[in-house]
Amino acid sequence: MNRTNKILRYVSRRLLQGIPIILAIIVLNFFLLNLAEGDAVDVLAGEAGSATPEYMEQLRAKFGLDKPLPVQLLVYLKNVVTLDLGYSFRHDMPVSKLIVDRFWPTLLLMVSTIILAVGFGILLGLLAAVSLNTWKDAVITVFALITYATPLFWVGLMMIVVFSLNFGWFPTSGMENIAAFHEGFDRVKDIAHHLVLPTITLSLFYLALYTRMMRASMLEQYGLDYVVTARAKGLTERRITFVHVLRNALLPVVTMAGVQVGALIGGSVIVESVFAWPGLGMLAFESLFARDLNLLLGIFLLSSALVVAVNLIVDVIYSFLDPRIEIG
Amino acid sequence: MKIINLLSTAVLVTLLSLFGVAHAQKSGGTMVFLVQPEPPTMAGYVSTSGPIGLLAPKIYEGLFDYDTAGKMIPVLAESYEMSADGKTVTFKLRKGVSWHDGKPFTSADVQFSIMNVLKEVHPRGPNSFKEVSSIDTPDSHTAVFNLDNPAPYMMRAFSAYESPMVPKHHLEGQDLKGAKLGNNPVGTGPYKFVEWKKGQYIRLDKNEDYWGSDGPYLDKIVGRFVPDASTRTAAMENGEVLYAAYNAIPNIDAVRLKERDDIGVTTDGYSMINPMALIEFNTKEGPFVDAAVRRAISTAIDRQFMIDTIFFGYGKPATSALSSNFSATGLHAEMPNYPANGDIAAANKILDDAGYAKDGSGVRMKGTFDLIPYGEDWRRGGEYLKQVLGDIGIQVELRYEDVPTWLKRIYHNYDFEMNLNYFYQLSDPVLGVHRHYGTNMIRKGTHFVNSSRYSNPELDKLLRAGMTQPDATKRAAIYKDIQTILAEDMPVVNLFELEFLTVYNTKLKDAYGSAMGAYASFGNAWLDD
Repeated sequence: MNRTNKILRYVSRRLLQGIPIILAIIVLNFFLLNLAEGDAVDVLAGEAGSATPEYMEQLRAKFGLDKPLPVQLLVYLKNVVTLDLGYSFRHDMPVSKLIVDRFWPTLLLMVSTIILAVGFGILLGLLAAVSLNTWKDAVITVFALITYATPLFWVGLMMIVVFSLNFGWFPTSGMENIAAFHEGFDRVKDIAHHLVLPTITLSLFYLALYTRMMRASMLEQYGLDYVVTARAKGLTERRITFVHVLRNALLPVVTMAGVQVGALIGGSVIVESVFAWPGLGMLAFESLFARDLNLLLGIFLLSSALVVAVNLIVDVIYSFLDPRIEIG
Repeated sequence: MKIINLLSTAVLVTLLSLFGVAHAQKSGGTMVFLVQPEPPTMAGYVSTSGPIGLLAPKIYEGLFDYDTAGKMIPVLAESYEMSADGKTVTFKLRKGVSWHDGKPFTSADVQFSIMNVLKEVHPRGPNSFKEVSSIDTPDSHTAVFNLDNPAPYMMRAFSAYESPMVPKHHLEGQDLKGAKLGNNPVGTGPYKFVEWKKGQYIRLDKNEDYWGSDGPYLDKIVGRFVPDASTRTAAMENGEVLYAAYNAIPNIDAVRLKERDDIGVTTDGYSMINPMALIEFNTKEGPFVDAAVRRAISTAIDRQFMIDTIFFGYGKPATSALSSNFSATGLHAEMPNYPANGDIAAANKILDDAGYAKDGSGVRMKGTFDLIPYGEDWRRGGEYLKQVLGDIGIQVELRYEDVPTWLKRIYHNYDFEMNLNYFYQLSDPVLGVHRHYGTNMIRKGTHFVNSSRYSNPELDKLLRAGMTQPDATKRAAIYKDIQTILAEDMPVVNLFELEFLTVYNTKLKDAYGSAMGAYASFGNAWLDD
């Protein structure tokens, strides 16, 4: 009871601390983005072929881009406080709707990637550490090195060439088969089918990272005194590995996974682009070149909130993995 | 007996072929095609942006379309009549046409579309319909255009892409740029808008109440967005998409895919878009204010080499300020200073004669060369041009920025010396070419107009004359003079006529009935399995 209370108090305190951090991120992003030459009106008019200066002035006034920067920032902050993320003039749609539409595909890709990467990473790292200096260790280490060093877009394209074009097992791109428009359970199956290649591609890089980290972490733990003690107690190697060493070795991996959730949103741009996956990364990328600042700020806001939340979750997980780490 | 046999065989063959022709088109199926990049909205009446052109003309229609020979095909108008002085044009509109929401299409929609929408907010509409002072609607299926001056070019601007007819009842009294119609289009065309999944696709379904007697044959057409070029190619190879226009499949892949039996490649369908690669010069300040330097640059460039090595043979060297596609209307004339293979010696001589001496390291002048940020091909082009310019003693640094920065630099700040670019010359010089040279087209902040700030009263007079001259022969003579002046002054050096590629699966039939190509309706397209 005491512990639950403590955790609750801790979580709410951390959440409160998160608010000024997120506000600072908004302000910083706002000015950074406004440093770029040209605005949304330039891009829109440029794409349209030609437009009169009066028309462009009219658009600027409509988008509120004619006001001085500090005023624009205040208006934006005021809207954010009331949970209104503003309007994307480029898409002629509220930012929140655009982001929510694209958030689910991102979440799907992110969660499946993390499960695959962390799961297999821990497994392979464990296997390599247990079979130190055998052929298994060598194979895993070389595999990790190669996947870590290979550019993501190349892996993605090779996956398409091999598994879509040559074997025909998976579709090349997209999130669902849009010639068929499946419904219900067929649709779930169809989306899962489309998810396979992007997930594997994105996982490979992180998988290598976790494998190497897990292996090193395991080896480090093996050398510590408590392992010697456990051995002296007469525990089996099996019990030492799985109950004592594994648990302690997990800590750095969990830390890393937490940090990388944030990076995954941005880092998936390449995979989203190669596989035409309709996620947030691509949306952010396109908005940057369209100078759709409202949309971009909205995406940044969401990512920073996500990072704050995930870091909090990781800290709480810590205390479960290692009861010596106290929160409060 | 033999003869009878032969005869009956002949009859049978004839019957079969007749039968075959009459029932050639198969109905049904979903046609997925590539749209690149994803458009911001579907408001084709506000923006002529390329990806909107790929989608909106399936939903909206124009008064006319144009066949591959340039002949007018009646669409929403059945016919037109022009008065002897060219100042009154009467359109007879098609009866029994309704909008996708069931309301009838009438002359009031035409009047509203031209006067309140296209003339006001369309990027090119103010030019196309400049002379239209009012439109009378004596009955619901007659529209009378009253013109201040004859406007022969206007008759080339009635396609669904260039001048779509929009529903008055959805736009009247609204802010045209923010109207709901922009994301939820309602037209008269063969396909109805159903759904737009941002980042994935736009789905259009067959319009069951379409006025045409044949077609549409396809149940659904779906425009898919795939950001990565290599993936687009893979999707085409895999048969996941059936049609990709405007170089959505890069030339380098298209020449490979062409070898396959199930994939075709064509350059048809771009004659009314008429893209021209070119270099714009700052004629007011910087190293290129002297026309002699610009003539030397034009003389030095090996246009055929650029086409062959960078664009895989797709393109045609420019021979004047106007595209050779204007030969059909007699307006194009070949000019000097446009050698297809480049002449370095002659170019050096021009510069020597003009008094630009080389220094110790062979450099006559230095400059900065901006490149259009629309893909790798243009960077390769810039690298080649840098070499050629070096050969004639002009040392340039290449600059490659993102689209908004580049637009601002060239068209707002005029902060450039020379700029690699391409322009659509469209279906008539008045619509696509005048904007590049007229003094009245020096408009700070407007994109894709006279950024050179070239101003020549004599040329302005000729441009005005070319605009209103209804007689074809006299008009050709005017444009010959225009091209002569431009070949001498060269505020812009035309490089080559771009040939865009359409890559398609051979299952897809009859997608190319119109000169508008991919910007037409797919109304007759069908799938053969």
